[in-house]
Amino acid sequence: MEDSVIDRNLERIRKDLILQGLTYDPLTDDLLDHVCCMIESEMESGSAFESSYDKVMSVIEPGSIPKIQHQTLLLLDKKFQRMKNFTYLFGLSSALVTIIGAFFKRMHWPGAGILLTVGIAMVVLVFLPLYFIINYREQTEKKNPIFGIVGYLTLFLLLAGALFKIMHWPGAGILIEVSIAFLIVGFIPLYVVNVFQKGGGKKRTLPYIVMLMVGIALIMVYSHINMSKYLLDIYMEESLINETSLEIVSDQTAGLIELSSGNAEADVQENISRIHEKAGSLQKMITMMKEGMITFVEQPGMPINKIRDIDNRGAGREAIVDSGLGREFETESRDFREMLKVLVRDPVIMAQIEDHLEFTGKVWPYEHGTSNIVNDPLMKNYYKLTDASKGIALSEYVAIDYLLHQQ
Amino acid sequence: MIANDLLKGTLRTIVLKLLADNRRMYGYEITRRVEELSDGKIRLTFGALYPVLHKLEADGHIQTEVEYVGKRVRKYYSLTEKGRSWTQQKVDEFFDFVNTLTYVLKPTPA
Repeated sequence: MEDSVIDRNLERIRKDLILQGLTYDPLTDDLLDHVCCMIESEMESGSAFESSYDKVMSVIEPGSIPKIQHQTLLLLDKKFQRMKNFTYLFGLSSALVTIIGAFFKRMHWPGAGILLTVGIAMVVLVFLPLYFIINYREQTEKKNPIFGIVGYLTLFLLLAGALFKIMHWPGAGILIEVSIAFLIVGFIPLYVVNVFQKGGGKKRTLPYIVMLMVGIALIMVYSHINMSKYLLDIYMEESLINETSLEIVSDQTAGLIELSSGNAEADVQENISRIHEKAGSLQKMITMMKEGMITFVEQPGMPINKIRDIDNRGAGREAIVDSGLGREFETESRDFREMLKVLVRDPVIMAQIEDHLEFTGKVWPYEHGTSNIVNDPLMKNYYKLTDASKGIALSEYVAIDYLLHQQ
Repeated sequence: MIANDLLKGTLRTIVLKLLADNRRMYGYEITRRVEELSDGKIRLTFGALYPVLHKLEADGHIQTEVEYVGKRVRKYYSLTEKGRSWTQQKVDEFFDFVNTLTYVLKPTPA
């Protein structure tokens, strides 16, 4: 039997395919037969072998043969497939743990910290490295891994920074600063270069877009804290001064009350103790609201200068607004003012008292101020409380002093 | 033409079903038959076909016989026993999916 034209050129076709990068023998047989069939089909329509062969080879995109081989080998690599499945499953479950942790945190349920830490650690230490390795191995032409490595480091730092920030661990600021530096001088330029080099491929952009968004969000959060840091400092200093004043005034008032016992007339005595009692219950409410806020950010018993930077806008809402204490405090402090108005007849002294109790009208306009309390960070709300507390103590002192000297 | 991303998940089912209906087929034959059956709407490239065939073979769903055509080797693919029941399952799954999709996507009467 005479050899067909294809059989005569078989070795040449095989060599051409191998030249294109075909090395896996089981696939070589398939592709060789396939290409020959394509040539035969071309020749059936009357073309000569050479032109048919050229036509068939021109249809095969350059680089597509190594790609087929690479995909085939990866599909056959059981270990790789298991690793891939494991990675996706792992990524999904660690994301789930993180989200549940965030939800717990939002609800202030116990265990939020552990869930968040474990979830983010799983993402950063296991999922991301695996993801980048798989991604790299799936590429037919190995691209420079620098992009993946910089991307990984940026994500690593961003997520670690976010975790440190959420957990109020020391070093969060530095981590975030470094990760933003990575994002701006490392990742974004590389990303832009990569996009322009590739031109078409949009498939893998999603994880990077997500990453970019996380970065931008963090920049926004961070810059906000940066802006108000100066203000937070002022509020903290003022709060500490208010608390010191409160102590001094309380001591003075205690001295006055001691002096009055036994010396003042019975009805004056009674009025003094009414004022003292009322002022005491107002102070107690303030203490409750302060402690409520500090408990809210999971730092019970912490002095305020230690938690100045905790920017938790939920504290005021929970401890002052939602607890109902703020409203109760507002009503009670108005009663206190009305009570003093009846007892203090001297307009000059009363003007002094009104000045000290200004928070009931202006500084502490609860009716109009709900949104302020809800939106202000803990430090500012704490300051408002110390200011009200000092005002109550001062007006108590002034009123008792007036009653004692009036006789 | 049917978009590639729509086809992605069903390629394996198509190949299995063709092999179930024909005793044995070789790669080029499969691509031609798919084109024929789909009226040219599905153009199966060998780049998509062979990785799937090799994977199915490695998983024991199909087997190969080698025959010489002239001087070159031709590999015929056919279903194994394991592959036959699996094919039925995959085809059923697919119809179930299509029915669900039809139901979901069909225009609701106003």
